[in-house]
Amino acid sequence: MITATNLVKWYGPTLAVDDLSFEIPKGEIVGFLGPNGAGKSTTLRILTGYLPPTSGTATIAEHDILKQPLQARSQIGYLPEGTPLYGEARVTEYLHYRGSLLNMSRKERVQRIDEVCDRCGLTHLRRRVISRLSKGNRQRVGLAQALLSKPPILILDEPTAALDPNQIGEVRKLIKELGGEHTILLSTHILPEVEKTADRVMIIAGGRLLADGKPKELRQEISQDARIVLEASASAAKLVNIIKPLAGVTDIETANDAEYSRIFISTDLDVTADTLLSSIGETLLNERIVIRELHTEQASLEDFFVKITDRLAAQTASKSV
Amino acid sequence: MNKVLTLAKRELESLFFSPVAYLALAVFAFVTAFVFAYGIFVPGMQASMSDMFTYLVWLLIFIAPAISMRLISEEASSGTLEMLMTSPISDTQIILGKWLGALGFFLVLLSPIFLQIILLEIKADPDYGPIITGLFGILLIGGLYLAIGIFVSAFNNSQLVTFMITVLITGLFTFGMYFLARAEFMPSQMKVAMFYMNVNEQFRSFSKGLIDIRNIIYFVSAIAFFLFLGIKTLEARRWN
Repeated sequence: MITATNLVKWYGPTLAVDDLSFEIPKGEIVGFLGPNGAGKSTTLRILTGYLPPTSGTATIAEHDILKQPLQARSQIGYLPEGTPLYGEARVTEYLHYRGSLLNMSRKERVQRIDEVCDRCGLTHLRRRVISRLSKGNRQRVGLAQALLSKPPILILDEPTAALDPNQIGEVRKLIKELGGEHTILLSTHILPEVEKTADRVMIIAGGRLLADGKPKELRQEISQDARIVLEASASAAKLVNIIKPLAGVTDIETANDAEYSRIFISTDLDVTADTLLSSIGETLLNERIVIRELHTEQASLEDFFVKITDRLAAQTASKSV
Repeated sequence: MNKVLTLAKRELESLFFSPVAYLALAVFAFVTAFVFAYGIFVPGMQASMSDMFTYLVWLLIFIAPAISMRLISEEASSGTLEMLMTSPISDTQIILGKWLGALGFFLVLLSPIFLQIILLEIKADPDYGPIITGLFGILLIGGLYLAIGIFVSAFNNSQLVTFMITVLITGLFTFGMYFLARAEFMPSQMKVAMFYMNVNEQFRSFSKGLIDIRNIIYFVSAIAFFLFLGIKTLEARRWN
C-alpha cells in the first residue's frame, strides 16, 4: 500500500530524513516511533505530499507521490500534528467542506458524516463551533475528517498527543477497530501507544530506520538482557555468595541490604531466565531462606528505545570525532 | 471547478468571521458615504458617480489588502494550509478559489455604492452608461488588488507584514507609477511605460463610460500574472 524508496530530506543544512526505505502492506497498523525531531513528521509529510523529498520517492497505492500527486493524496486520510481545523466552523459544516474538497456528492456526504460522527463519538457535538470544543473533541473531528472519504490509507501524526488517559484509550480503541478496513501509519513518541495498537513498529531516530518488526519481536531482542529481581531473608553478601556460582549468572547488583535484601541478577545468553529462576529457588529453599520476591524483569520497548537511541548517539559522537 | 467554488464559498464565509473584514466594510461604507453626501448628492451637481469612482481607486489601495491579507497567511500560521495542501486539490485550485472568495466579499463591500445609485435614481436622472462601465472597472481593480494580495500572502505567514507589502505594491501601481511617469531621471520610454502601467490611467476611460479593450487586456493580464505568481509561490512553499 505504501512504499518508500530511499527517501532523503534536507532542510537547508539539516538532514531530517536519511535514506529511509520501507514497505507497508495492506491492512497493517504500523507505529512510527521516535524521539522528538527524529524525522517522523517529515516522513509523514513527504508521504502525504505536503513536502517533496530531496531525493528518493514513495508510492501510495501504486501512485507515485511526485508524478501523480493528486491521485496519491486522494488515497490518504491525514491527521496532521496538532489537528489544524477552522475554528469558526461548526463540526458538520467543516465536514461538509472537507467532503466536497474530496469530491463527495452531497448525498454521500450526508450519509458519511452521520457514520463518521457516530464512529468518532461526535453525534451530540455536530452543531458545536469547533473553536469551543475541547482538545479531545477537536481530535475526534480531525479523525472524522480523515475517515470521511473512506480512504484506504490513514496517516495519523501523533493522534493521542495532548489527550487525557481516558481519551487516549478511546482513540486507541478506535484505531484498533479501523485497522481491519484501513492501512494505518501512525506516529508517536509514546511507547505504550504502539505496543498496544500497532501490528508492527518502526523505530526511527536521526532520520534513519533503526528497527522494524512486531512489538513482540522487538521485545524479544531485548529480553536477552533481562535481569532477575530477588528479595529474600538473608544479608546481601550471603545471597551473592549463594547465587554467584549458579550457571548463567554474570553479575549481581545489590539494591538493599537489611533483614530482607534485594538484589538484581544479570544473566547471560546461554541460560534462559526461567531455568535460572528455578535453580535460584531451589538453592535458596535448600538454604532455608525465605523468598519474598523472585521474578524476571520484563524489558519494555521503552528500554529498547533508550538503548537504541543511545547507540545512535554514540555512533554519531564517534563519527564527529 | 466544483472544488474551486467550495474553496471560494468557505473563504467568503470565513471573511464574515474576520474582524478586519468588518473594519474594511465599515471604513469603506463611511468614506463612500462621506464622498457621496458632500461630493455627489448635492443640488445642482451632475448626477454622475465618476467622482466616486476616482476616489475608490485610491481608497481600495488600503481596503483591498485588508481583505486579502489573511487569505493564505492565516491558513499557514494556523496550520490548516497543511490540511489543504495534502487534499487532492491542486495549488491552482487553492489560489483561484481563495481569490474568487475574496472577490465575492469585494462585491459585498461595494453594496453601499449600489444604494447610492438607487438614491441618485430617485432624486435625479443619472446616466447609466458611465456608472455601469465604472463599476466594471472597479471590479477589475478589486480583482487586481486582491490578486496582488493573495500573491503576497502566499509567501508570508504574518498578516500584518502581508498587509503592508500589499499596500506597497498597490501603492506602486497607483501613486508610484504616477510619480515615476513624471520623474525627471526616468528615460522617456520608461516614462511612457510607467504612464500606461498606472491603474488610474487604465481606469480613466471606464469612468467616462468607455470600454476600451486595451484596458480590459491590461487588467486581465495583470490579474493573471499575479495569480500565476501566487500559484508558483504556493508551490515553492513546499520546497522550503
